[in-house]
Amino acid sequence: MLINQDMKMADVIHLNHHLLHVINRFGIQLGYGEKTVKQLCAEHDVPLSFFLEIVNTFHDPGYFPVENLLQFKASRLIAYLHETHRYYLDFRIPEIANYIQRLRDDDGFGPEVKLLIQSFFSQYTHELTQHINREEQRVYPYVLSLEKYLESGGGDKELIGSLKQYSIHEYEEEHDDVESKLFDLKNIIIKYIPSPRDSRVLNLILHELFELENDLNNHAHIEDLILVPIVEKMEQEFLSGSNNPKIL
Amino acid sequence: MIEVVKILFVEPSYIVREGLKTVLSRMGIAFRAEEAEEVRDNFQRLLEKHKPQIVFANPDLLAKSWHGNRSAAIFEGVVLIGLMSKESGEADSAHFDFLINTRHPRQEITQALMNILSKNGFISGETDSENISDRETDVLRLVALGFTNNEISDRLFISVHTVMTHRKNITRKLGIKTVSGLTVYAILNKIIEAGEVKGSSL
Repeated sequence: MLINQDMKMADVIHLNHHLLHVINRFGIQLGYGEKTVKQLCAEHDVPLSFFLEIVNTFHDPGYFPVENLLQFKASRLIAYLHETHRYYLDFRIPEIANYIQRLRDDDGFGPEVKLLIQSFFSQYTHELTQHINREEQRVYPYVLSLEKYLESGGGDKELIGSLKQYSIHEYEEEHDDVESKLFDLKNIIIKYIPSPRDSRVLNLILHELFELENDLNNHAHIEDLILVPIVEKMEQEFLSGSNNPKIL
Repeated sequence: MIEVVKILFVEPSYIVREGLKTVLSRMGIAFRAEEAEEVRDNFQRLLEKHKPQIVFANPDLLAKSWHGNRSAAIFEGVVLIGLMSKESGEADSAHFDFLINTRHPRQEITQALMNILSKNGFISGETDSENISDRETDVLRLVALGFTNNEISDRLFISVHTVMTHRKNITRKLGIKTVSGLTVYAILNKIIEAGEVKGSSL
C-alpha cells in the first residue's frame, strides 16, 4: 500500500516505522496528533508531491516515481540528500562506532578480532565520508549553479564548466565501491568471526549495518532515479542555451 | 553465499511484474529488481543503465525500439526472456533466449523458470557451500598481502586471466568483494598474519 496525502501521519508510521528518519529529514518531527500527511506538509512548507515521491520510493523499493519527476527543483532534492548525508555522518555511523566500542569490553573475543572489526569499520567510515564529501563539494555545487544559471541567467558559466569535471553518469558508478565494503563487513561478522560466547552486541551491530545499507540503497536509488534525470534535462537546456544568443 | 541477481522487468502490466517477482521470491531467488513500464528511447540504453543479468521483457514493448542487434556487446552475459501472453505469433520472438507464457499454470511456469535459471548458473544443483581450494588459498594469501594480479601471476606461474578467475571464485564462495575484506578473512582464518600485510593499517 502506497502512502497518500490523506493518511494520518501516525498511521504512516504504524504502516512502516522505517520511514521515521525519512520524515524527520523534511523537518517534520514526532507529535503528529491526528494530522494528515497533507496538513503536516503544508505546516512545514514541504511540497506535497515531493514528499510523497520520496517517502514512497523508500517505502516500496519497486516504486518508480514517474509523475512530475522532472518538475522537482534540484535544490529541493539536494537539500534532502544533504540531510541524509548529515544523518549518516552525525548519527548512524557514530551509533555503530559506539557499539563497536562496546565490543572492547566484551571478553567473548580475542583482541585481534576486535581490532580487525574496528579497523575495517574505520576504513569503511573513511571511504563513506570521502564519497559524501565528493558529492557535497563537487556534484551538488555543480547542480545548484546549473539550476541557478538556468533560472536567472545569473551565475558563472565558467564555474559550471570547471565544476563539471565528470558527467553525471560516472558519478552513478562510484556508489559501488562503498557498497562492497559494507557488504563485506556484514559477511565477515555473519560468517567468519570465531563464534563468540555471546553475540548480542554483534547482533546489534549487524542490525545497524542492515539499516544503514537499506538507507544508503534508497539514497542511491533516489539519486539515480530522480536527481540524474533532472540534471540530464538541465544539462541539455544548458547546452542548447549556450548556442542561443537570447539567453547569453 | 546467496548471489543477488540483477533483474530488469520491461513490462507494462503491474500485475505481471508483481506476479513474476512473487514467483521468483517463492523459488528462493535473491534478486534486485529494476522495472520499466515502457521503453522510452532505446532498449540498449536501458541495459546500459541497469546492467541486468536477466531481462524479462514484453516482446511488444521491444518491437518498436529494437534498433540494435542481439550480438551487440551490451547483450553479452544477459539472459533475455520473452513474456508471451498468447501461444505464438508475437513480434520479434527470435531475439529472445527463452520464452515464458504468462498464462501457463503454476507448475509449468515454475518448472520453466527453474530450467532457465539453472541452465544459466543462477541456481546450482548442489548447495553453494564449497570451501575454497588449495590453489585458491594460494591466490587469496597473495591478494590479502596486497599483491597485484600481475605480481600474483608471476609468483604462482599462472596467467593473469587465471588469477582473475580464481579471484572471482573466491569472492563468490566467501561473499567478500574487497581486498581489505579478504585481508580480514585471511587473518581470521590464519592464512596470513596481521604483521605480514604490506603498507596496510591492519
